[in-house]
Amino acid sequence: MQRAIPFEIFRYAVILGIVAISLVPTLWMVSMAFKPIAEWSAAGADLTWWPRNPTLDNFRFIFGQSSTDLIVALERTAGRPILASLLTATFGTLIAMTAGTAAAYGLSRFGQGGNLPLALIQLRLFPPMAVMIPVMIMWSFLGLIDNWFGLSLIYGIVTLPFAFWLMKTFFDDMPREIEDAALVEGCTRWRVFVRVTLPMMRPALASSALFVFILNWSDYLIALLLTTRDWATIPVYMASLSSSMTGQLYGAKAALGVIAAVPPIIMGIAIQKHLVRGLTFGALKE
Amino acid sequence: MSEIVLENLGKTFGDFTALADMNLTIANGEFMALLGPSGCGKSTTMNMIAGMLRPSTGAIRFNGRDIVDVPMAKRGVGFVFQNYAIFTHMSVRENLAYGPRAQGVAAAEITKRVQAFAELLQLETMLDRPAAGLSVNILQRLAIGRSAILEPAIFLLDEPLSNVDAAFRAVMRSELKSLQGQFGQTMVYVTHDQLEAMTMADRIAVMDHGKLLQVGTPLEIYNNPADAFVARFIGAPGMNILEGTLTRHADTVSAEVAGLGSVTLSPAMQGAAALQAAREVQIGFRPEQINAADQGLTMQVTFVERIGARTIVHMEQGASLAKAVLPADVPPPVAGDAWTFAVPDDAIRLFDPVTGRALGGRTH
Repeated sequence: MQRAIPFEIFRYAVILGIVAISLVPTLWMVSMAFKPIAEWSAAGADLTWWPRNPTLDNFRFIFGQSSTDLIVALERTAGRPILASLLTATFGTLIAMTAGTAAAYGLSRFGQGGNLPLALIQLRLFPPMAVMIPVMIMWSFLGLIDNWFGLSLIYGIVTLPFAFWLMKTFFDDMPREIEDAALVEGCTRWRVFVRVTLPMMRPALASSALFVFILNWSDYLIALLLTTRDWATIPVYMASLSSSMTGQLYGAKAALGVIAAVPPIIMGIAIQKHLVRGLTFGALKE
Repeated sequence: MSEIVLENLGKTFGDFTALADMNLTIANGEFMALLGPSGCGKSTTMNMIAGMLRPSTGAIRFNGRDIVDVPMAKRGVGFVFQNYAIFTHMSVRENLAYGPRAQGVAAAEITKRVQAFAELLQLETMLDRPAAGLSVNILQRLAIGRSAILEPAIFLLDEPLSNVDAAFRAVMRSELKSLQGQFGQTMVYVTHDQLEAMTMADRIAVMDHGKLLQVGTPLEIYNNPADAFVARFIGAPGMNILEGTLTRHADTVSAEVAGLGSVTLSPAMQGAAALQAAREVQIGFRPEQINAADQGLTMQVTFVERIGARTIVHMEQGASLAKAVLPADVPPPVAGDAWTFAVPDDAIRLFDPVTGRALGGRTH
């Protein structure tokens, strides 16, 4: 299609603007992570796009190596929060995906369940804050506060509606003939589910799991309320990175931010094939 | 031995009756086609035979045994779906081996059978290719192979050729027929394509709106449709059906077609028709049986279609529409002209205008 040149210029300008707005903060974070204290704490006039003296000091600092320039020592290093985040987000995702997939399959194939799908999505309709205080009291009563499994459990519960709805749409779209074909050839329902349905659903499972994982990984509010010290996650820990002398430790925060971006990116790359391919049931007539 | 008997079989979905009171016996080794337009209940019938749907009423017997409560995995039927239902995450070989493996067949036997069926269906060269990305023709061949490899005594095929291209359809028609000859299964074949039914089936069951209208050999159904719907549905183009009135003469009965002329009935037909003399009927005759003549019915030619071996003449007169099929060597009438044609008296069929059922004796 032939378009007018001015239109093309306008179009690319808009695209460039959108890309800049979404990527510049990320770029700024990465750049800041490699700046020595003098550069990230400098007064506005001295701020530069790129670090003049690139350094790994910020990374060393959050892992406990006190910097010579920064006269603060951290009470806690980033190691434990990273472990906490990895553990809780992973187990939370496992819980949500297991329960969500099972519920979605049951409802999609055996029909009943009445208002369950809607009831589940309603969990997301009111602000999390409204339920978090009661949850906090319950969790404290059950001794689940500041526990990796306590936090994993609530992550699983909170993201279950997403896992359920995503998987239900995928199951609804999967033609039943495929399962019927396996059933008629003598397979049990369970075997069909494990050997035929789940393998064909791999792309769906992968993209849903990534989505749920990112939700869990980036949670701040729940972790803030349900952890105190031992199992504080990356976002909670990041908020605590400040000192009375220098104020917010932006360099350390940026370094932690760079580290926090790594797992979702790795997961994204690992399942990219599935994400790009999407759900193509190539063997069936559209 | 695998005889299938459907007894007063019915299926309703809420208020909707998909199938009502179906009685049909499919003999062991018979190739039975269930033929009808979409929504006629043929797939519903098939799914009940396979066990995917539970009948609302009636019974299904395999060799005398009621199998309604037998789960589909235990019925020992093979099923080929219209949409292939191939497991795309497996290779061609794994797809073929899937059924035998699920049924606990020994590994050596599976290898042997996969090889044999791959050769039979010309799939040897692609055994280790992933099933995703194969052409639809190959996929349908694979789907047939995957069911056939279990050597089921009952083989159910639900419109297996409707997605493949025309040339391949012709190939598969003869392959399916020879496959059945080789294994002698009882085959039930659902289709809306009368050509498939006519060429492959031993007998055809014609259905419409959840009712079984007629069961018979392809020729019986073509020559003596039991119903005006069957008459119109079978044949390409289908039978002409015109409104008419029977008139009794001294020793004959003729049928007047309003505004077109009259035709005489054959002696066999008169015997039955006499019972309903001087009443409204529907007069049916096949387009292929029309000949140009000096006397008979006259209609306006609207359009002439030449398709090589045959010429189809479209005609109209008042509200009546009819078609004639002429051999290519017969000079066709010209569009816009009035054309007079005759119908041999033994080609005339009569139908009740209210119920659509055939009236009168069979002549072929």
